[in-house]
Amino acid sequence: MNKLALRLTRDKSDTLLLLAAALMVLAPHFGHLPPWISAGVCATLLWRAAITWRGKRMPPLWLLLPISVAAMAGVYLSYRTLLGRDAGVAMLALLLAFKLLEMRARRDLFVVIFLSFFVLLTNFFYSQSMPTALFMLATLIVLLTAQQSFQYTGAVPPLAARLRTSAKLALLAAPLALLLFVGFPRIQGPLWGLPGDAHGGKTGISDSMAPGTIASLAQSDEIAFRARFADAAAPAQRQLYWRSIVLGDYDGRTWTRVPRRRGLQRLDVAVAARGRPLRYEVTMEASGTRWLALLELAGPELRVPGQRLRDSDEMEQFTADPVAQRVRFSADAYLDYRLQAGERPERMRRWLELPAGFNPRTLALARQLRQAAPDAAPEQLSTELSNAVLARFRNEAYRYTLAPPLLGRDAVDDFLFGSRAGFCEHYAGAYVVLLRAMGVPARVVTGYQGGELNPVDGYLTVRQSDAHAWAEIWTPADGWRRVDPTAAVAPERVEHNLARALPRPAAFGLGPLLALQNDPDSWLAQLRFAYAALNNSWNQWVLDYNPDRQRSFLEELGTAFANGRSALGAALVVALLALLRWRRRRRPADPLAGLYEAFCRQQARHGYARRPDEGPRNYAARLRAMPAGAAKRAAMEQFLTLYGALRYGAPQPESRTASLATLKTLLPLCR
Amino acid sequence: MVAALRRLYRKGRDQWLFQLQDSEPGTVTLGLRRVFIVPTRPGMAFAGLLLVMLVGALNYSLGLGFALTFFTAACALADMYLTAKNLALLQLSPGRAPPVFAGEEAQFECHLHNRTRLDRYAVWLGFQADGEPRQATDIPAGGDSAVRLSTPTLQRGWLPAPRVRLVTRFPLGLFRAWSYWRPDARVLVYPAPETPAQPLPSSGAASADGHGTVGLDNFAGIRSYQAGDPMRHLAWRQIARHDPALGGQLVTKHFEGGAVAELSLDFAALPPQMDLEQKLSRMTRWVLEAEQRALPYSFRLAQQHYGPALGDAHRAACLRALALFGAEGQ
Repeated sequence: MNKLALRLTRDKSDTLLLLAAALMVLAPHFGHLPPWISAGVCATLLWRAAITWRGKRMPPLWLLLPISVAAMAGVYLSYRTLLGRDAGVAMLALLLAFKLLEMRARRDLFVVIFLSFFVLLTNFFYSQSMPTALFMLATLIVLLTAQQSFQYTGAVPPLAARLRTSAKLALLAAPLALLLFVGFPRIQGPLWGLPGDAHGGKTGISDSMAPGTIASLAQSDEIAFRARFADAAAPAQRQLYWRSIVLGDYDGRTWTRVPRRRGLQRLDVAVAARGRPLRYEVTMEASGTRWLALLELAGPELRVPGQRLRDSDEMEQFTADPVAQRVRFSADAYLDYRLQAGERPERMRRWLELPAGFNPRTLALARQLRQAAPDAAPEQLSTELSNAVLARFRNEAYRYTLAPPLLGRDAVDDFLFGSRAGFCEHYAGAYVVLLRAMGVPARVVTGYQGGELNPVDGYLTVRQSDAHAWAEIWTPADGWRRVDPTAAVAPERVEHNLARALPRPAAFGLGPLLALQNDPDSWLAQLRFAYAALNNSWNQWVLDYNPDRQRSFLEELGTAFANGRSALGAALVVALLALLRWRRRRRPADPLAGLYEAFCRQQARHGYARRPDEGPRNYAARLRAMPAGAAKRAAMEQFLTLYGALRYGAPQPESRTASLATLKTLLPLCR
Repeated sequence: MVAALRRLYRKGRDQWLFQLQDSEPGTVTLGLRRVFIVPTRPGMAFAGLLLVMLVGALNYSLGLGFALTFFTAACALADMYLTAKNLALLQLSPGRAPPVFAGEEAQFECHLHNRTRLDRYAVWLGFQADGEPRQATDIPAGGDSAVRLSTPTLQRGWLPAPRVRLVTRFPLGLFRAWSYWRPDARVLVYPAPETPAQPLPSSGAASADGHGTVGLDNFAGIRSYQAGDPMRHLAWRQIARHDPALGGQLVTKHFEGGAVAELSLDFAALPPQMDLEQKLSRMTRWVLEAEQRALPYSFRLAQQHYGPALGDAHRAACLRALALFGAEGQ
């Protein structure tokens, strides 16, 4: 009876452990599941725990079946589908919870555990960060412990010991897992079309720009991409213009791309690049759009794994399909370039178009500035006009702000003469309108400017908050030339970053802390850099270990081991390990048994092997017949007598060590 | 032809692959070469799960998904290693195997010694012929464990221990490791006592005055209770004096049959037309009966003759002679 009670409590504790593991598996999902599913799953787990605790009966099938059908209907109502990633995860979570209530045989137990493994995997749809990985590792160990706990038949070690056993198993598995991770042939997924929600909503630069578009993007600290300059230092901050989209059409409010006119032949775009290109590697986060942001001006040899590339007359680069997952590629940048220099001016007419009936005061200002400019060669004239506009931005009371006031129908008029406060898109837009009105071909360019260089690993991180808009004007001799009107208003923005140009208001007197964060030399910043570097290597080596990376890594490894010295070193290490292992195996656990074995081996060499049924006394009797010297005879006799006493006599721990030492000294005498 | 081929296949499988051997004397160590391992049904399902996880990770390009899949697979392989290790290097030796009567279960004691530093849990033992083993034991590091296995007996004589199968699925249950061992032990199976019992032979030398049942005449003290003593012979007064808390026991009044001459159990005296085994059964029953009644008896079976005596040694000698009658190398 007592034993039965004990057994019952053991079953209970095993089940509770399994419930804990299931909770650990499901808990990270509560963040994104609809509240009713999270609540339902929690309630089910609690119910199951109560059943186990009180030793009640499990709910009957006629109760479970309608509940699960209702839950399925609920999932359909919540997601409007039963397929797809999120709905699938919701179904799996519910399935796991309900299966815990319908656990009768040992087979069901395995089903629950295997289901838990799979739900564990689905966690990675939502987060693959390092903390997630650590938590999942802990969950895996608890899950293994639960699985192991059901295997005991008699004695069950305490939970801590079982957890240790599982951790040991995980440790044993780690090298093999690493080997598989590095060496298992990877295939570029997906294997089939993914459901529409396979990759969650992503942010990025869009191909139109209205006042406020970029300002809203600038609030986001999300990473757009990381770049690393392979063989040279990163260019200065003010040279880091990551050019993405060229906007040429203006309807009075919104800037859009110039549509490709159907049937029109593509222009021959004359590009002249000077100097050696700057080579760098980009790891681009999933943007959900097709635009690439590349350091201007991007070289022609660009290849993005898994994507077909397109480009446009405006030297934009974009992919055929939206970038749905992190992608790594190399690119060239020619910092010194000429684009469409010497082009006939009439082909540039489309970059002069302005909507009729908008912004009359701006047009008037443009006329005024044009007349004020001295007559000069067209080359200088464009520059002078541009400078006049920039001077106006700089010298008059224009403000640079993330939250400009709302603008009316004549947005540029309102901005230039009314609010005089704006973000980069306001300045870039107003600048291009003014220059076009003065007859200078101009266009808006959006992309990213700057980035944060991590001194720890040399990666430059470009965030959405680095999104920027600037302008390009065309002169016959130089072609397209970049002009950044924002630099006239807020040079800090271009020299450093947005945070320096527009410090965020700090709440609750946290100002010094924010200052600490923005100062690149403070300890906080150092810590942040170190963590960012760790995170980046995590991304590069764990999350984004794709077929390309695998190939290059294995090739590197191959060349590293191709030279004789390192191969020899590796062989030596392996041999050493094998030797250690062999020695450890040779040494028996019991020193007494070891000495006796050694003794028997010695005598076996003389043809007197111990028979398996022989004890030390009988063996000694037989050994007396061995032709040997008196000293050896005595030693053998003494050895076997002592051994017999130690092995079969009453245990005497205090004299045991001394006796073992005696045996050890006798052993060579018996040779 | 087919049957012969099958037999050949079985023999090859058992001898070459499974290394089935005859009984091995003394302590046997299970080397890794003797430990076999295959995935269990849940293990197969686990492989399927791994495949599904791999496809999921591949399809959604989940870096950590790959990591989890490979880590889980590696855990399964580590489990395979640990399962085999849970059985390997165990030392086995046969224990006592007390004699039984035919028809009873023969009990073989198996000793498992763990001379390693690794605790062994959930090792299942059973005879190979009985299918999946049903008895489990744990052997702590440096410790021992004893398991008693039973098998039915049908015939008198020596019963060698059948082949034992040791199975373990510890720690994760994804793999099943097993090994075979034939203990060097045998059980002496006495003939089954005849039922219903025939009265003891009251040979020519019956009591002179010819009255009274054998051995029930004179009260001659008490002795400890033996199964089968009649209720009315229980010495109630003495029983009452014993404190049950001190392990009180039943005692029986003992009578000595002064009226009876020596009880002689002679095989040759049995009717010659009787079946041999039946004769042996009857003799067995009589030996038991005489022992139970505490009547000294002499025993004669072919050339074997034991003088009148009583007690365990005498009883064992008689029963042994009966069990091995006609067998070679008695």
